[in-house]
Amino acid sequence: MATEGALLSATGITRRFGGITAVDGVDLHVREGEFLSVIGPNGAGKTTLFNLISGQDRMDAGRVTLEGRDITNLTPHRIAENGIARTFQHGRVFGNLTVMDNVLIGCHTRLRAARSRVPVLAPVIEILRALIRPAPVRAEDAAMRAEARDIIATFGDRLTPRIDQPTYSLSYANRRRVEIARALALHPRILILDEPTAGMNESETAEMQQIIGDLKAQGRTILLIEHKLNMVMQLSDRIMAMDNGKVIAEGTPAQVRNDPRVIEAYLGHSSIGGTAPAAKSLTEGAQ
Amino acid sequence: MESLLSLPWFDFTISGVVIGSIYALMAVGLALIFGVANLINFAHGSVFTVGSYIGWTCAVALGLPLWATVLVVAAAGGIVGALIELLAIRPLNHQSRIAPLLATIGVGLILDQIVHIIFGANPRALPVSLPNLRFSIGSGTIGAIDITIFVTGVISALALYLFLFHSKLGMAVRATAQDGDAARQMGVGINAINMTVFGIAGALGAIAGLLVGIYYNSIDPNASFEIMLKGMVAIVIGGMSNVPGAIGGGLILGLIESYGIALFGASYRDLFAFAVLLLMLLLRPNGLFARAHAREAEPMTGTFVTRAKPVRIPAWALVAGAVLIALVPALGQPYLTQVMTNALLYALAAMSLTLVAGTLGLISIGHAALLAVGAYASALLTMAGLPVALGLVLAAAITAVLGAALTYPAFRLRGHYVAIGTLAIGEIVALVILNWTSLTHGSMGLYGIPPLELFGIPLFSTNASYWFVLALVIVFALLQMRLLSSHLGRTWRAIREDTIAAETYGVASNYYKGLAFGFAGFVAGISGAVSAHQFSYINYDTFNLLTSVLILTIVILGGLGNVTGAIVAAIIVAGLPEVFRTLAEYRMLFYGMALLLLIRFRPQGLMGSD
Amino acid sequence: MTILSLTRRSFAAMTLAGTVAALSGAAFGQTSGEPVLIGVSGPLTGPQAQYGAQWKQGFDLALDKINAEGGINGRPLQYVFQDSQNDPRQSIAIAQKFISDPKIVVEVGDFSSTASMAASPLYQRGRLVQFGFTNSHPDFTKTGDYMWSNTVPQTQEQPLMADFATKTLGLKRLAVLHLNTDWGTTAKNLFVDAAKANGAEVVATEGYLPDEKDFRATLTRVRAANPDGIILESYYADGALIVRQLRDLGIDLPVVATGSVYSPDFLSLAGDAAEGVYTTVYFTPNSPRPEVREFVEGFEKKFGQEPNSFNAMAYDTINTLAAVMRQYGTTREDIKSGLGQISGFSSVIFPDVSFDPETRRVSGPQMTGLVVRDGAFTLYEQ
Ligand SMILES: Nc1ncnc2c1ncn2[C@@H]1O[C@H](COP(=O)(O)OP(=O)(O)OP(=O)(O)O)[C@@H](O)[C@H]1O
Ligand SMILES: [Mg+2]
Repeated sequence: MATEGALLSATGITRRFGGITAVDGVDLHVREGEFLSVIGPNGAGKTTLFNLISGQDRMDAGRVTLEGRDITNLTPHRIAENGIARTFQHGRVFGNLTVMDNVLIGCHTRLRAARSRVPVLAPVIEILRALIRPAPVRAEDAAMRAEARDIIATFGDRLTPRIDQPTYSLSYANRRRVEIARALALHPRILILDEPTAGMNESETAEMQQIIGDLKAQGRTILLIEHKLNMVMQLSDRIMAMDNGKVIAEGTPAQVRNDPRVIEAYLGHSSIGGTAPAAKSLTEGAQ
Repeated sequence: MESLLSLPWFDFTISGVVIGSIYALMAVGLALIFGVANLINFAHGSVFTVGSYIGWTCAVALGLPLWATVLVVAAAGGIVGALIELLAIRPLNHQSRIAPLLATIGVGLILDQIVHIIFGANPRALPVSLPNLRFSIGSGTIGAIDITIFVTGVISALALYLFLFHSKLGMAVRATAQDGDAARQMGVGINAINMTVFGIAGALGAIAGLLVGIYYNSIDPNASFEIMLKGMVAIVIGGMSNVPGAIGGGLILGLIESYGIALFGASYRDLFAFAVLLLMLLLRPNGLFARAHAREAEPMTGTFVTRAKPVRIPAWALVAGAVLIALVPALGQPYLTQVMTNALLYALAAMSLTLVAGTLGLISIGHAALLAVGAYASALLTMAGLPVALGLVLAAAITAVLGAALTYPAFRLRGHYVAIGTLAIGEIVALVILNWTSLTHGSMGLYGIPPLELFGIPLFSTNASYWFVLALVIVFALLQMRLLSSHLGRTWRAIREDTIAAETYGVASNYYKGLAFGFAGFVAGISGAVSAHQFSYINYDTFNLLTSVLILTIVILGGLGNVTGAIVAAIIVAGLPEVFRTLAEYRMLFYGMALLLLIRFRPQGLMGSD
Repeated sequence: MTILSLTRRSFAAMTLAGTVAALSGAAFGQTSGEPVLIGVSGPLTGPQAQYGAQWKQGFDLALDKINAEGGINGRPLQYVFQDSQNDPRQSIAIAQKFISDPKIVVEVGDFSSTASMAASPLYQRGRLVQFGFTNSHPDFTKTGDYMWSNTVPQTQEQPLMADFATKTLGLKRLAVLHLNTDWGTTAKNLFVDAAKANGAEVVATEGYLPDEKDFRATLTRVRAANPDGIILESYYADGALIVRQLRDLGIDLPVVATGSVYSPDFLSLAGDAAEGVYTTVYFTPNSPRPEVREFVEGFEKKFGQEPNSFNAMAYDTINTLAAVMRQYGTTREDIKSGLGQISGFSSVIFPDVSFDPETRRVSGPQMTGLVVRDGAFTLYEQ
């Protein structure tokens, strides 16, 4: 696989927690517009890998580049400024903020008029602009709000009627939707989704798959972690399977689905909750 | 300067161990409670005081023998501890994590006041005859009581260790500490366990009070907070919930203080204690004895703020309220006007704190430090000849910059650690003011600060200064509300709700925390500066820890983050004692009760958190 | 702050009301008409509450006597006590209250420098005399000509104490421990200057915080400086802690402490370690002067305990103000000018009360050297 021309390249990523090596020398390359899924049983190291790429955790070894620029171990907000947006496996919306404000936080990196880059004085200028709100600031705010409303509308009438409600009052599925809306508001070069359908019922999952499919169709670069393999098989251009922190298989959906190591990894973990159906769907898919 | 080597280091070491074992004794109980309830028990110092006075009652007033005294003190301390759990902590199970911590502050106030009312404020002697053994060591001696203190500390830590790791109930305690839900599923009565633990810790704290009282032959009702702070530093050094570590932490703190005194002198002692506390929080938040730097599986920042539901007051009502307040001087009672001026100065400070504690979620127990910085800055500048108006503005700007810079170390802390860290920062500021004699005149304080005056117009008449302060409150309240409705308000709240997620979306959280402390520092700085010009005399103790706690109480009463709430609550808190002047002796008791009841029944404050 | 020596406070003397107009029972017989009111601002609650209680004992005793003798030219003398908790925020509010109440003719207090001096500009502008009797801060009377004080100034007390240490006891190498407060620091500076002028050497000075309990390390440091005597600018509670720990450390040097340790509590807190401690005082109940005898006997009769110097200062204050009012009138201005003129009045502490019109302070206290022998303060005789 050509690493040349990859949008995001991660090589030799390693993270140890005490005795265990959660991520062990993983390489990962994503091309512009590609849809790459990472699968693997519970505890395989998928989330940890994404945490390392998007800066929530620091790696012990390895290197990440985005369009050739080194972004290894940058702070999360720098990585966000570089255009990587992610959602969290367990959901991390801002409970006391409204749906609108949650999405507007996603716009934060794109604020120009409200923020300032003047050295030393930037804090003072930022406060003064927030107090005085000159025309450009107001215009920017209006534009962001309009755009946020559009993004929220992607989820049909799931979120729009609740736009001014605090997110703690939303259903679980709706909170996950808010997370994705917030990520989209960042205009990400790469969108990282960590189990976006966890905890959703079948129809909600189907709806989410539809939305992710639409995002793919827009030509976005997407990294997905998912246990629901049907969805992975249908959406992915390429799949990477992990177990025990290592990549055990990589290739097109067809290649990975037939890989005996993948089947073995899933079956070997079948006692762990949630993986048995995955193994089942894997074998089903292989038939 | 003489050679450092010629100092009697051995004697300093002994001194350090002696005081260190007192700290250790305090720390053991604190560590135990932190381990199980995940809570810093600010009332622990008060249990210590209660123990010392019960000890006095038994040994001196009733003339009981020592063994009986110890038994009674332990039993009483155990009961007090268990009652604290039952009445103050248990009802808060489902509230924000800061609630129990604040409740313990309230309980501490109440216990101290009860002791105060019953026994008076004078220190008392606690002469208990122990075997008159004294051992020469170095060029001094240590007595039976020093050894008793040390041994009690070690034995109690050992006993606790055995209890925790080798008894069934102890296992359950540890299970609770690690995972309350799992423990509940195992059928372990979490309430019973918490109560047991508070009881044990209470007994230990009370015995510590008795022993330390015997050691110094002196007990007094104002010792609680100081000794509890030292115990807290000790557990931070030892690892918050590490019971044997607490002993080590206490001894290390004792040694650090002793060596610090050896090198720099006595008035630097607490500076060392708090500097160590801060360094530990920053560099080794899990304590010196923790194995590896453990990281939480998915770092949870969580929020201290309960679900926000601020009470929205219509604009006309706000305007009407402001007009009414502005008319206070028309009543023609300068006393009332002065009380209201005080209330409004508190309101400024509370607005400042509610921004950082409420909107940003960093509960600070050191906010008085910002008032002190503003007060000293303006006092020094105007005494050097600057006009007062300029002094006020510059002082506010200096406080803004220093406020952000001084609290910067606390930015990386989370949860309760922020509270401890800011407390330490606040104490450090006060101690630096005390010891930086060439600038601040040290303990002499600053005298002859010029009165309020704007561009040559004197504002020191009661009414003029009232309106001036009221204008400041209105202006800064409007500015703060405007900020809250901007992208900054949203960003600050996002940081409060979930710092990790905010960072992930490009929010440089330290920068925005700095901005908030900058603005808050500006407002607090003005409040402190105006106070300085009103008082004309300030010293390092004018804005002390009690001021910090009072401001925090106001903020919670008003509703975390709620600007109008802060103003209303400031008027209530600063005004009520005047209404309740007849309560006199019971006034502080009343404060403690109010704090406790508020947290219990209206944790979101009067006006709701925002 | 002030010069302290205390006894355990009596509960009986504490009433729950913050505002107490003291009406002494005997008063009504001889006096009539509108009472003359003194406003008192001081701590009745909070950490300094015991001082307020001791003030009241002294005030009440003085009022008993004054009103029994016909009050102020027939009008009863009373006081209104407002609780400031020794907090400057509250003392300035109380100042507003007193200034605007025309019935108050003079104000007494507050307790600490912080609380008192915060209110001084208000009293100065409000033209109401602020009479401090526990305010030894050198700047207290400097705010203006309405600030007066009969506190024994440290400028007078400390040189006398230095004379006692260096000349009477012949100490040459002194180590000074002092409370690191305005009071302790001022005392230390004045003492050190006077001691040096007397030819002694000061080999160590250590300031400690008011809530300090542990002095072992500090004393180890002091011993390393090799002094031949130890000077304490301490209150009685910390003073007791220090002498105990001195003896634990095996330091057997002579100790000279300021008059603040002169209190039965010092003896009980320090225990055996108090033996041999020297102090210099300007009030001792043992004094044979008739003013002192009258005060001590009256106090013991009324309160069943021996008075301390706080009781004495409070008692003196009311008597001094009464003398001024009787002689010069009861308006605010009368009192101010009267204070500047009074002389020949003999109080418990000052054989002759007269104020220096420049500093507005009294001078000429008499110092007595005491030493602890067999668990009691006894007159020191060479
Ligand atoms: N902060 C941490 N401290 C210690 N161990 C950790 C930490 N984070 C993850 N681990 C461990 O690293 C391994 C990989 O965890 P990770 O969450 O990356 O798995 P995953 O593939 O995302 O699993 P799942 O499908 O359940 O989400 C697990 O064994 C986990 O226990
Ligand atoms: Mg995962």
